[in-house]
Amino acid sequence: MISDHLIITGINILMAWSVYLVLLTGSLSFAQGAFMAVGCYAAGYLTTVLGMPLLPATLIGAIVSAVFAVVLGYPALRLKGIYLILATLGITFCVRVLLENLEFLGGIGGFGGMLGADLPAVAIAVGCVAVLLVLITISPLQRIFDAVREDERVAASLGINVTGIRILGFALGAAVAAVAGSLYGHYMSFVRPESFDVLLSIYVVLYVVLGGVNNMLGPVVGAVVMTLLPEYIRELADWRPTVFGLAVLIMLLFKPNGLLSFRAVTERYRRPTKSATSGSLEQQSTPGTAP
Amino acid sequence: MLAGQILNGLVSGAMYALVAIGFTLVVGVLDKLNFTHPEVFMLGGFIGLVSLTYLPLPWAFVLALVVGGLLGLFTELVAFRRFQSSDARITAALSSLALGLVFTDLVHKVWGTEQVPLPPQRGWLAGTFEIAGVQFLNLQLMVLGVTLVLMAGLHYLISRTRIGRQIRALAEAPVSASLLGINVLRVKQSVFFISSALAAVAGLLLALRSDAANSEIGLTFALKAMAIMAIGGMGDLRGAVLAGFLIGVVEALMFYFGWGRLGEMTVWLAMIVILLVRPAGLFSGGLHSREQRV
Repeated sequence: MISDHLIITGINILMAWSVYLVLLTGSLSFAQGAFMAVGCYAAGYLTTVLGMPLLPATLIGAIVSAVFAVVLGYPALRLKGIYLILATLGITFCVRVLLENLEFLGGIGGFGGMLGADLPAVAIAVGCVAVLLVLITISPLQRIFDAVREDERVAASLGINVTGIRILGFALGAAVAAVAGSLYGHYMSFVRPESFDVLLSIYVVLYVVLGGVNNMLGPVVGAVVMTLLPEYIRELADWRPTVFGLAVLIMLLFKPNGLLSFRAVTERYRRPTKSATSGSLEQQSTPGTAP
Repeated sequence: MLAGQILNGLVSGAMYALVAIGFTLVVGVLDKLNFTHPEVFMLGGFIGLVSLTYLPLPWAFVLALVVGGLLGLFTELVAFRRFQSSDARITAALSSLALGLVFTDLVHKVWGTEQVPLPPQRGWLAGTFEIAGVQFLNLQLMVLGVTLVLMAGLHYLISRTRIGRQIRALAEAPVSASLLGINVLRVKQSVFFISSALAAVAGLLLALRSDAANSEIGLTFALKAMAIMAIGGMGDLRGAVLAGFLIGVVEALMFYFGWGRLGEMTVWLAMIVILLVRPAGLFSGGLHSREQRV
């Protein structure tokens, strides 16, 4: 019972981290559910049809998903802001419809027979990804990610390959999501394309928003709170989407720009600069100051 | 049969277009995605359900317009008012998404997760007519008629009235518009009112066509309209209408030729390709299209 909750929590933590990894480079992805599905189906195919053990199958699933992300990401990450949000939503829908139409993966009926994921496996996966994130945090890569996220023009002028870094973040996120997907598939032992609905991708993004994106622990907090609390508080389980939606709204309302404010107060917010020419002027003139 | 399918496609296309217009109006003026929009569309069906149980059909449209518009104002207040700066695009998308989740869950609490049948329509609406041996439903005519009237009304509003001129000014140059004394907040509110009212009517029309109000359509039907908005070009009203009808017909034809299961993918795939190749939209053409922006 408790181990079931912990397994699902672990998988959600991995998913939240996959969103966080993409978000580190300043892109918001609603495609993590799709990458989870890719990892789940790839690893599931390897274990059930080709008889591979879980660990190599998961790793291959992660690689397949990362390659998939690079292929999709190369064009998609040239898009920015709301264009990118739309493109990742599109990826989610396309992957789902594709899976529904691939007969050798069970089609719309679903794909089953995967076994073997248990609590230690999930714990090891969470641990490995945590180590990966810590390594990123203490390596120069973190600063490169920060630069790309905060101001890509400056980053480019410093000789950083902005698109390459974005794709790296996207691929890392996809690989982590694929590990989560593989574990999910081998724990549930039966999945259907509709298990990886667009709603899943939305929820995972909101876990991260709720927990905060300042550091790698924020997504963990969001995922744990939103997965474990409803299991123990009955009313919360009944009203889960409402409570969750309101929590995210309140979070955003009382911490405006919360999502992208990685540092509390930056020089950039006090002094109007490049992006302020359109942004902050609009901000000053908008709320009820018209004559 | 083919003609029937094409008409079906035009009918869905009309509803796609109504929802896509709402998305595109908000994108054009605020440069933000309104993720509450799909759920307002979904609520339109339930507004219809409530009003049709007590009132005749025309009142359902009036109620959908008014309640939908008020929901739009509420959305603006809760999910967009705090996030005005152009850096806050993602934040605004997320806050409207969260509000949409709350709306959907409240509908689930009141009516359950299954779709709810509408009271049956009697009289002219339930009838059919025939052209060249093919039978059509009067309902389809009504959907097309209502949509065209609304679109004509919107065109008049945007191109001829004072508020329409203000909307265009704000879309064109927000800073200059506010410097020239345009009440930016009021214009934004009216944009939300108009777009959400149109979405609610579209939801009512869809509920009438399928004889049921469904709480799932927000994330299926209406998100597709978001893709259609991008296909037509973000902020491009004419593009949204054309792309809506185009995708409606394409989907109906794919269904007719037996590729219906790939239908949903077509829209999104087309959207991704168009975002990459022609980010300004399928129907954009240089300077002319800039004038056609909201």
